[in-house]
Amino acid sequence: MEFKLPDLGEGITEGEILKLMTKEGDQIKEDQPIVEVMTDKVNVQIPSPRTGKVAKILVKEGDVAKVGQTIMVIDEGGSGPPAPVSTPTSPQPVTASAQVVQVQSPAPSAGVLATPATRRLARELGVDMGKIRGTGPQGRVTDEDVKRSASGSGTSAVAAQAVQTQPSRGAPKEEVVPLRGLRRTIAERMAKSLRTTAQVTHVDEADMTELVLLREAFKGSAEKRGVRLTYLPFIIKALVPALKEFPYVNSTLDEQAGNIILKRYYNMGIATDTDQGLVVPVVKDVDRKDIFEIAGEIEKLSQKARSAQLTLDEVHGSTFTITNVGAIGGLFATPIINVPEVAILGLHKIAKRPVVRDGKIEVRDTTYLSLSFDHRVFDGAYAARFTSRVVETIQDTKKLLSEVL
Amino acid sequence: MFKPITLREPNILIEADIAIIGGGPGGYVCGIRAAQLGLKTVVVEADRLGGECVNYGCIPSKSLISVAKLVDKVKEAEKYGFRASNVSVDFAQLQKWKSEVISRLVSGIELLLRGYHATVILGEAELVAKDRIAVTTSQGKEEISCKNLVIATGTRTSSLPGLEFDGERIISSKEGLELKGPPSRLLIVGGGAIGLEFASMFQKLGSAITVVEIMDQLLPGSDPEVVRVVHRKLESKGVKVFLKSKVAHVDKTDSEARAEIDTPDGKVTLGFDRILVSVGRKPRTEKLNLQKMGVQTDARGYVITDNRMQTNVPGVYAIGDVRGPPLLAHKASKEGIVAAECIAGMPSAADWKVIPDAVFCDPEVASVGLTEAKAAEAGYKVKRSRFQFAALGRALTTGEPEGFVKVVSNEGDGLVLGVQIVGPEASDLISEVALAIEMGATVDDIALTIHPHPTLPEAIMEASESAAGRPIHQLRT
Repeated sequence: MEFKLPDLGEGITEGEILKLMTKEGDQIKEDQPIVEVMTDKVNVQIPSPRTGKVAKILVKEGDVAKVGQTIMVIDEGGSGPPAPVSTPTSPQPVTASAQVVQVQSPAPSAGVLATPATRRLARELGVDMGKIRGTGPQGRVTDEDVKRSASGSGTSAVAAQAVQTQPSRGAPKEEVVPLRGLRRTIAERMAKSLRTTAQVTHVDEADMTELVLLREAFKGSAEKRGVRLTYLPFIIKALVPALKEFPYVNSTLDEQAGNIILKRYYNMGIATDTDQGLVVPVVKDVDRKDIFEIAGEIEKLSQKARSAQLTLDEVHGSTFTITNVGAIGGLFATPIINVPEVAILGLHKIAKRPVVRDGKIEVRDTTYLSLSFDHRVFDGAYAARFTSRVVETIQDTKKLLSEVL
Repeated sequence: MFKPITLREPNILIEADIAIIGGGPGGYVCGIRAAQLGLKTVVVEADRLGGECVNYGCIPSKSLISVAKLVDKVKEAEKYGFRASNVSVDFAQLQKWKSEVISRLVSGIELLLRGYHATVILGEAELVAKDRIAVTTSQGKEEISCKNLVIATGTRTSSLPGLEFDGERIISSKEGLELKGPPSRLLIVGGGAIGLEFASMFQKLGSAITVVEIMDQLLPGSDPEVVRVVHRKLESKGVKVFLKSKVAHVDKTDSEARAEIDTPDGKVTLGFDRILVSVGRKPRTEKLNLQKMGVQTDARGYVITDNRMQTNVPGVYAIGDVRGPPLLAHKASKEGIVAAECIAGMPSAADWKVIPDAVFCDPEVASVGLTEAKAAEAGYKVKRSRFQFAALGRALTTGEPEGFVKVVSNEGDGLVLGVQIVGPEASDLISEVALAIEMGATVDDIALTIHPHPTLPEAIMEASESAAGRPIHQLRT
């Protein structure tokens, strides 16, 4: 049977083959994980649907496979030879035996289909052209294919040899780091966000003095529950009434249908920094959870994010995203919207700053809030009102108290 | 025009990153590239920069062939309504002009090497060690110590037993290009590229030509349909062609050389003024002590290298003819670049898919990639399509309607596998297709590219359109 990349969930059309957990000729059992795929920010191990023998693997680690694309051929034994695999390109001539499955290949001795400049790039990056699966017309290898393959997993032998036999004179002035895995996903999503939306950032400031005290007050009971309480759950709770009052901030735009979809559920994406790059786990239904539950979930999700153990479910379905760089520093920023959402809130450093209150200068804990929003969906005034509603809640301890518990 | 090449104090050791033995199209190009890359470069040339190609091969022969073609055109001038009387060739002037062309190219090469600060030493090189060369120059001995060595000594003409060159009756191509006039009766032994270029050229200049070829077709290895056009043209001009034949014996007298030719139809004995032997070439490696250095060669003496041009001995490279067939100047040049870049630490390699070749016979023949036969052998589902120059406006306007373009492609995906051209300016036409193959183009890619009208390359577009199933200027077959 042909084992195709299964539907991995909402909106996922492709995934990068991170790890092949079996090789051609291996016996595999049903439900045994056979391939690890990176989709939209998480890794998924996909189990074999059948018991049998791996007759042919049609992808390499680093390839991007589309949902429905044949990844490998599993020979279930006794049921005859594996069915031939349909590939989008030229049939190979000559003697393909029943056991040999045809892989995308331009022709017998033509070698790899690629321009001379691409071939040179492959040499420069120490990549064996013969081992690259081209994504261009008729399977031709593009510069991008070469760069993707250059990350080195499958090409070590060739690369090592190239390095040995071609000592370069002096240290290279540039280093080539292949865009791969999470970095590639981030690159694609960020570019898509800026390309497809009309982003504006609105910055406001909030007096956090009361909130700092409030957090101190709750710290002890949080510890008793075994959670570490940060400012984040408070902000999240402060956001909920504002999102309810300004529903367009918690929406998506269906451009094709010409509809704006207002969401009456509040799933908070939490931008989380990991060694591999940014991931955004989701705390669901924050309107129905108290700060301790939210704090606990954030802690658990960020741990899983750092050890790359998030499940698909845990990174999907956010309706609004928060990015918190306060711990690192800076004044404010212009965050990029986590599409298809229409807004993102940046939280920044809380610092003691001089503030004028009742005609006097006082030292207060303040912070800046940066709201990037999609101007297609709502306007600057709406964004300003939304943000000032959030600031209001943060600054009003009584109001916040009624929200947080 | 230029001062004599780098006069240096003898007996001083020259230290170099790269020493290139041979200043032909392989060696001098290697020298330029190496010097550009900042390597201290020495090029040693035993005779004249430019090597066989510039001095005794491509360039002088093309000079003479161009003039022969012109003479031929003038001979049939009346057909075009153009009257010319008392047309004759001043061979001495022709040779003088040819020499000027050569000198100009040689001094250009020297200018480039000097300009990039490569050192040129004229003299015969001897390998003392893999990193040490002794050169005997007109001034004395030079010693070069080099970190890397590039062998670019090329090939020399092979002779045949019983047909040893005497420089008079029995000559090589080199001497053939320096004759004071066309021989009245010329026997050409060997119907390959060189032999046919001489046959077409001297026929036009007035010689009676006989060609003897041992194989069953002229230009052995070429597409038979292509060869047929050239063969027919030669015979129509009165050239005698003996295939599957060889010269058994030559009797030299004061007035001629009588050659006894074994043909499939029996022995033929004919008298000639000159016999030009063009039966191949052999590597020029005698003085290099390759065996002593442990450099591997094949059974015919050609130096074996990897695709980075390095021999089995680290630091010793070989490029061009000395690596073996195809013996082509443009291949040597590219290999020279690869060697220089590899020595400079760059990840260069000979990874071209095809090497085009061109024969300047009449009509010209040029080929790149696979022929129909070779493509079938390689397992392709071969699609062949041709376009005759007789149906092309431009070919008719120049009065050269012979020949065709033949495109060999893979059925299905339309990948261009090879193209053979026989006809006007075939040598100039072939580059387009070489690029197409290197780029992995399909017949559609060529067919969809606008070619200016009226020009000869339209024939390539037309043949490609035909391969794509949409011929315009020919009926669907």
